[in-house]
Amino acid sequence: MRSRVVELVVNGRNRELLARPGMSLLAALRERLGITSPKRGCDVGSCGACTVLLDGKPVLSCLVPVETVDGSAVRTLEGAMRDDGTLTELQQAFVEGFATQCGFCTPGVIMAAEALLAADPDPTREDVVRAISGSTCRCTGYTAIIDAVLDAAARRRETKVEVAS
Amino acid sequence: MLETVHVPESVDEAVSALRGNAVVAGGGTIVMGLVNTTPVPFTDLVSLRRAGLSGIRVEGGTAIVGATTTIEEIGADERLAFLSPVVDVFASPPLRNLATIGGNLFVPQPGGDLAVCLLALGADVVIAGPDGVRTADVAEVLDEGIRTGEIVTEVRFPVPAEGTWFYRKAMRRRFGSATIVSIAAVVVVERGVVSSARIALGGAGSRPVRSRTAEFALAGKPLDRASVAAAATAALADSTTFDDAYASAWYRARVLPVHFRRALLGE
Repeated sequence: MRSRVVELVVNGRNRELLARPGMSLLAALRERLGITSPKRGCDVGSCGACTVLLDGKPVLSCLVPVETVDGSAVRTLEGAMRDDGTLTELQQAFVEGFATQCGFCTPGVIMAAEALLAADPDPTREDVVRAISGSTCRCTGYTAIIDAVLDAAARRRETKVEVAS
Repeated sequence: MLETVHVPESVDEAVSALRGNAVVAGGGTIVMGLVNTTPVPFTDLVSLRRAGLSGIRVEGGTAIVGATTTIEEIGADERLAFLSPVVDVFASPPLRNLATIGGNLFVPQPGGDLAVCLLALGADVVIAGPDGVRTADVAEVLDEGIRTGEIVTEVRFPVPAEGTWFYRKAMRRRFGSATIVSIAAVVVVERGVVSSARIALGGAGSRPVRSRTAEFALAGKPLDRASVAAAATAALADSTTFDDAYASAWYRARVLPVHFRRALLGE
């Protein structure tokens, strides 16, 4: 059957793509737009590797029919990076804290963490656990990930204080 | 094979789109998994995401929740604070930002955590179809579904008084786990004894179970350990537990009375 044109604002840029009937947002990002940081871990919404921000909220992009979000804003890890290519506090904390090993869960976890920190710059450990509970990680045992998110949150708060003073 | 995805912008458009071989998606959390991985037997998918069915009102103690209101939106609403512990252990944030209260009525057990709650709350379900609008008891919708060509537009339930709502979900992990067994109950105690009880069980049958046997066991009794333990055992009489990847039927039946007791005694 016919593809349909869908428009999205992806990482701040207007993009358009041809969506096959029933194509997921995940498939559209990866196969039509070359945005490959969200991963296809299960395609049924159980692993969280496809997590992106849709109009600011973390969602499982494999479960979103892209035709239903025409005109929406999507943010992926590609858009969470700095223009000059330097790593954000979250990425830096993941690298330094060895919170990423194979890296497959990492984009999804970072997007979930970005959503948490946007809503709450000073989360508790429990808050972080809840925020990343949709992501399955087979490598790290999660502790390093939780520590890295808390570490990054602290760095961001420090940077804000420096900028403010 | 899926040929067309419809994104109606009103209830009327949605009902019109439901002709022939069409399936409805609220948040798509069940249907899209099938679309992604299997050759689905339906040709048309009708998404309700933009049909204007989202929103929460509370009027005179009754919550009126649009069918496509997400689970996360429900958990964040202070007027429905009694449901925050339910939402807190419902899947995870990126799933909750898609899953809808209307869709949850049709999720097979052991999913359908909100559906179990709605059964305990004695909710009404508003349904639109080609013949107009009707209201049905949630128990009927859970047991029989809705008719071809219809969609759920709204769910309504009384907000329980402070201290009358009880909920517990037994899980494999603290977060992000489906239900082994769950207990949702509205129990009113007057003059020291139970004057009314509505008790619903999850993971205790192919659909959410209303445990009238447990309710009868509690009626007129104080809400203490002895009566609750007796009611917990009675709840088994209404249960037909099942095997799945989370737990065996034997295990579910073994732990149901334990979690029932903990739910009602706040242990």
